[in-house]
Amino acid sequence: MVATSEYAVELRGVAKRYADITAVDYVDLDVKYGEIFGLLGPNGSGKSTTLKMILGLVKPDSGSLKVLGINAEEDTVAVKRQVGYVPENPRLYEFLTGLEYLDFVGDIYGVDASEKKTRIEEYLEAFELEGREGDMISSYSQGMKQKVTLISAFFHRPKLLILDEPLSGLDPKSARIVKDLLRELTAQGVTTIMSTHILEIAQAMCDRIAILYEGRLLALGNMEELRQRARLPGSDLEDIFLKLTGTGDIRAVVEELLR
Amino acid sequence: MNWKNVVQLISVDVKSGRLVRGQRFRRYRESRLFQYVLYGGACVLGLAIGLVVGNFYNGVTDPEMRALFHQGALNFFLSLPTLVLIYSLIFTMMGQIQRAGVKASIQPPYWLPITWEEHTLVSTLANLLGFSLASIILISSGIAVASIFLGEVPLAVFTILTLLASVFLASTTTEIFRVLQVRLIGAVYKSSGRAAVWVRFLGSLLFFIVFYVVWFALTSGAGSIALIEMVAGAQKAVWFIPYVWLGVTLAAFMGGLLAQTIIFSLASLLFILALFYVAVRLNARFGLYEPPAVTVSRGVYIPKVGLLGKLGFSFLEAAVIRKDFKAFTRRRELMYIFIMPLVFILMPLMQYLGALGRPVSPEASPSFFTWILLAPGVIMAVMLGLMIIGEEGGSVWLFFSSPITARSLVKCKYAFVTIFSCIVTLVCGVIGILIAHPSPRLAIALLVESILLIFALGAVSLGAGIRGADFTEVPRPRMVRPLTALVNTLLCIVLASAILSPLIPYAVTTMNLPVPLPLPRIDLYAAISISAVIAVVITIVFYKIALKKAEEFLLEAEI
Repeated sequence: MVATSEYAVELRGVAKRYADITAVDYVDLDVKYGEIFGLLGPNGSGKSTTLKMILGLVKPDSGSLKVLGINAEEDTVAVKRQVGYVPENPRLYEFLTGLEYLDFVGDIYGVDASEKKTRIEEYLEAFELEGREGDMISSYSQGMKQKVTLISAFFHRPKLLILDEPLSGLDPKSARIVKDLLRELTAQGVTTIMSTHILEIAQAMCDRIAILYEGRLLALGNMEELRQRARLPGSDLEDIFLKLTGTGDIRAVVEELLR
Repeated sequence: MNWKNVVQLISVDVKSGRLVRGQRFRRYRESRLFQYVLYGGACVLGLAIGLVVGNFYNGVTDPEMRALFHQGALNFFLSLPTLVLIYSLIFTMMGQIQRAGVKASIQPPYWLPITWEEHTLVSTLANLLGFSLASIILISSGIAVASIFLGEVPLAVFTILTLLASVFLASTTTEIFRVLQVRLIGAVYKSSGRAAVWVRFLGSLLFFIVFYVVWFALTSGAGSIALIEMVAGAQKAVWFIPYVWLGVTLAAFMGGLLAQTIIFSLASLLFILALFYVAVRLNARFGLYEPPAVTVSRGVYIPKVGLLGKLGFSFLEAAVIRKDFKAFTRRRELMYIFIMPLVFILMPLMQYLGALGRPVSPEASPSFFTWILLAPGVIMAVMLGLMIIGEEGGSVWLFFSSPITARSLVKCKYAFVTIFSCIVTLVCGVIGILIAHPSPRLAIALLVESILLIFALGAVSLGAGIRGADFTEVPRPRMVRPLTALVNTLLCIVLASAILSPLIPYAVTTMNLPVPLPLPRIDLYAAISISAVIAVVITIVFYKIALKKAEEFLLEAEI
């Protein structure tokens, strides 16, 4: 399939309900090729559901999705082949070693044997997992498991990265590696959609940011556009986020809790 | 001890057992049906058995027979505490072995303000839930009703009390075993290095074998009667073993020995408390113990090409098959699957060799060979087919997010089910040939039929396993919805009968079995050919159904 659109991801009127809860409420969203796109929002705002719909893990109730020029509902396998995904709470095969897991993922994505070997070794070294790669994942710390999940998303060279809280549990050095890697991959044309609660990282890394609230798209744009939208010139993303999501006045809440 | 904490935590355990999955993966609802059916059914069955026994006793008019029956009933009462202790130990230990390795199920109490005493008591009582408690309800309601007819109500009440103490004693022992086992496994990992995975696998198999040899020795008809007689008679002789003190207490009560009754009651109580204290201390000492890392490989990494690629499997399919093989040999809760072929080999083998005190005559060897060649591999195919998708558990997101097609998923999972089951059939066949010396015709015919059944029923069960997959992992992996498993088992019985039906006239005429209608004489190879056609049709139809289910499964993934 050849990309026919200027957007890597296009969402048109996408909605998803779970019983009487509206997870995503008719969202329109475009993500350009080669950008790092941040998806922000309070807990339960529909970020993870939106990411899962893009990957085809959740079927939208209405609307249409195009991913890398492919109709995501018609050919989910073609989409998945080109996507690297890091879920919010990844469960790995704990009975495999880190190396066996990456080898398995490499085979799933059809990475050539010699290339797979080179890439796995490079990533293990970069994320300081050397020496522990032969141990069962069950003995890994949360951060080590996150590193394995990140490597498995990166190392098959996807065109689109969907990362749900990618830096969760990582040590500062590994977090820095991920950030630099994402910038480098972006320069190579890889598109990244990431959700995070760490607003400083979103502000520093993302070319554009979308803020979701109760399933609706509240704001979309680069930092300057978001400042204008919130009418907070010169302010940082935290202030913008709190103002737009109506959670800005938290002093009364804290005082109530301390009473 | 905060009893509110204890009750709350037990209710959490009960609730987790009541959660059932609906058609969509993320929807769980609570169903009390299974619990009601299990405990209510046990009570009704116990009452019915008690009534039957009581009425039978009332119907006996010969005084000598009545006295004999009465004495037999008393012997049974007397042996109950020790028997229940033995069976509860087996049940609760097997329950522990099946528990998931997922730490989340046991960790929350460690950061909540709960004492080790409370935690140990909850764990001990939770061990009893399910079949152990149902067995006690069954026995208690049975002896309560029977005792009215026997005129032994006070004895029945005392027996029920000792039964409750017995199951608690068994469960406390299991709790000690559980904690020690975690520590022991850690020591094994540390000392066995890279061989740890295989040491654990072979150790678990050895444990299952020993367990089941004991189990069959105790539960076989002759074995259990001998055991009741032995327990009833020998308890007094081994009174110094604390585990028989409850039985000795009951014997003293029955004999009207008040002082002995009080002494052994108190001694039993102290022993249970001492064991509970040991369990609490062990939990406090090793409860948070993290076993050392299992190192499986060291050195240079060389990607495998392997035999599977040469057999026509893609890299993706071969990777899934290799991963599943590792899952079944490394995940303790999945090693349970190996019990089944072991059971089917051990049970007839022990009977055949006379290990249960009832040697099977040499004439029975064809039926023994038929059993050992057909049952293990075929039942393995049915079980594996049902659980091969659900065993993915929480890690199934990788399947949903990776570029795996329905065709590849079904192909590799079906290949694993059939290859694994055929290996079991071949191993069992070799054991059967060595022991039963069947004719070559019988051996070939049964081998072919076994493989036909494996392929057909494997396809049937795989489709059901996809449709009814349950990814719940705590407190133990469910893998498939119970109703799906039940319906699939019934369907497999019907289809297996259809596949084997062409061989019935041959078996009847060859073995001169009495039948109401004369059956046509049929050549063995013609019968096998007809059977093969039926099996192939079933395989193709249900493989296509499995493919359809896999497409829906991957499309409707909601994780």
